Amino acid sequence: MSVESRKSASVVRMSPMFRVQHGLLMLTLLVLALTGFALMYHDNWLARLLIRLEGGVLFRGFIHCTAAVILMAQMVFHAYYMLFTREGKRELKDFLLGIRDFADFGQAIRFNLGAASEYPRIGKYGYKEKFQYWGATIGTFLISITGVILWAETTTMSLLPKVVLDITLIIHGYQGLLAFVILLFWHVYNEHLHPSVFPMNRAWLTGNVDAEWLRQEHPLEYEKLKQEGVL
Amino acid sequence: MKWRFLCAVIAVLLGMCAPGALPRAEAAISLEKCTLCHGKPEFRKILVDGKIRELFVTADSLKGSVHAKKTCVDCHFDIGEIPHRERPRRIACTHCHYKGNAEGAPQSDGYLAYIDSVHGKAIARGNVKAPLCQDCHGSHAILKAKNEESAVSQKKVAETCGHCHIEIYAQYKTSIHGVAVAKGIREAPSCTGCHGEHKIYGHLDPKSTVYATHVAEQCSTCHGSISIMGKFGIETEQVETYKESFHGVASQFGSRTVANCASCHGTHDIRPQDDPLSSVNPKNVPETCGKCHPGANPNFAVGKMHIDAKKKEAGVVYYVASFFKYLTICTMLALIVHILLDMYGRTKRLRGEK
Repeated sequence: MSVESRKSASVVRMSPMFRVQHGLLMLTLLVLALTGFALMYHDNWLARLLIRLEGGVLFRGFIHCTAAVILMAQMVFHAYYMLFTREGKRELKDFLLGIRDFADFGQAIRFNLGAASEYPRIGKYGYKEKFQYWGATIGTFLISITGVILWAETTTMSLLPKVVLDITLIIHGYQGLLAFVILLFWHVYNEHLHPSVFPMNRAWLTGNVDAEWLRQEHPLEYEKLKQEGVL
Repeated sequence: MKWRFLCAVIAVLLGMCAPGALPRAEAAISLEKCTLCHGKPEFRKILVDGKIRELFVTADSLKGSVHAKKTCVDCHFDIGEIPHRERPRRIACTHCHYKGNAEGAPQSDGYLAYIDSVHGKAIARGNVKAPLCQDCHGSHAILKAKNEESAVSQKKVAETCGHCHIEIYAQYKTSIHGVAVAKGIREAPSCTGCHGEHKIYGHLDPKSTVYATHVAEQCSTCHGSISIMGKFGIETEQVETYKESFHGVASQFGSRTVANCASCHGTHDIRPQDDPLSSVNPKNVPETCGKCHPGANPNFAVGKMHIDAKKKEAGVVYYVASFFKYLTICTMLALIVHILLDMYGRTKRLRGEK
């Protein structure tokens, strides 16, 4: 196969369903971050500006809660989709974490440090995607719980000592910050700055990736598609 | 001849005395004239509604006051003939007390602030019960505010305000601030300590020092000061912790319905937490929180309200916050190291492929 034909071939990586879910997730997380951090760092001039833009401190809370409800609904829908639809089940199988992924992670590090001669051969989703996916899933689940505790403050204050709510507030804020910076750094590197996709991996918009990119970064998936005759 | 000479001497002497002595004589006569009637202890008037207005005034009434050197008609300048037929008008203090006056009266613009205040506006609307200067500062026995015996001294002003605001005075008198003032603690606030002196506004007026969004700031003028609170062993961090709380942040951004200091601790009836009548006594916490959070139960009183997660005193909250801080920093570092390694490794990998 010539270099030209390799480059022109493209493979579907994100179906419209996942692109919509990804887009909605991105939107809700951004809204939650902007409204949440404005409250967390309310002394900051930027936060003051944001709170003003968000219609004052009470309307900020309304936006935050609305976005949170959308996020939680999305989480439920995503769980349903991954567990009970044909496409979802297939993707979930690709996303399941195995010992293999940790081994890949170790080998990648050793290779990068020069201790291993071969870089691990990655399937459709490598350790980078899987860690990110499961981290985000568990993170969303946990932050939803702490969020609901804080939202239903009269009920929770009636049942729990105040110190639990104090801790919940701390966890909610810091976990949000942690999740936000991980998602930001990871995306900036893997989807923007990584030399193979620079300036941006457009799969989240078009759904497609180059076959050549797949061959370099996800060789196992490339071979599988070749065997299936898709490529 | 002898008689003529004598008459001439008397006439000359009278002429010499006249310019200097006559006005003083007149003023003295004026006071004496007034006390002809007002100097009788039983001189009083029974009003239509049965109230008795005491009209007993003597030369001693002004003695010791800031107006000791004044006479009756200096202020009651509308009295032209004695006995006067009509009730004299209420005294206008601004007759002398304005900026740039020639009388040497203290040049205060307190009057201007008063005109805009809730009392001044009530007067302007025609409320005859609203106070003028003399209702607070006193009429004949006016003393400087610094003088403890003055009606507007830190110690006595609450009683003065209480002439009209009776119920509030009763609440305040037994509150922690009222008790402290009665004990002679100079730092404790009387009415004017929180509400201001001449610039008193209704608590629903955004200009008021006790307007919902100004309360925390007003309380913090003393409660945020280590030099004041240190004398009484009271913590100053309540103000900071409030500002960092949901309530405090909402208040700073202009919410008028969110709880401020007074919503929980009370206003005129503030009492220490261990007082059973205190609104923040654990027994009363459900009711206090329940004003805004219907369904508040005794569990609301469990735990410390004012905590600062940045300080070790917050206990487990502080350690959770610190844990997350370091977790975030370490994760960031690990991510960055991994990213750099990965970029380096990838270049190596591609080189190998070629």
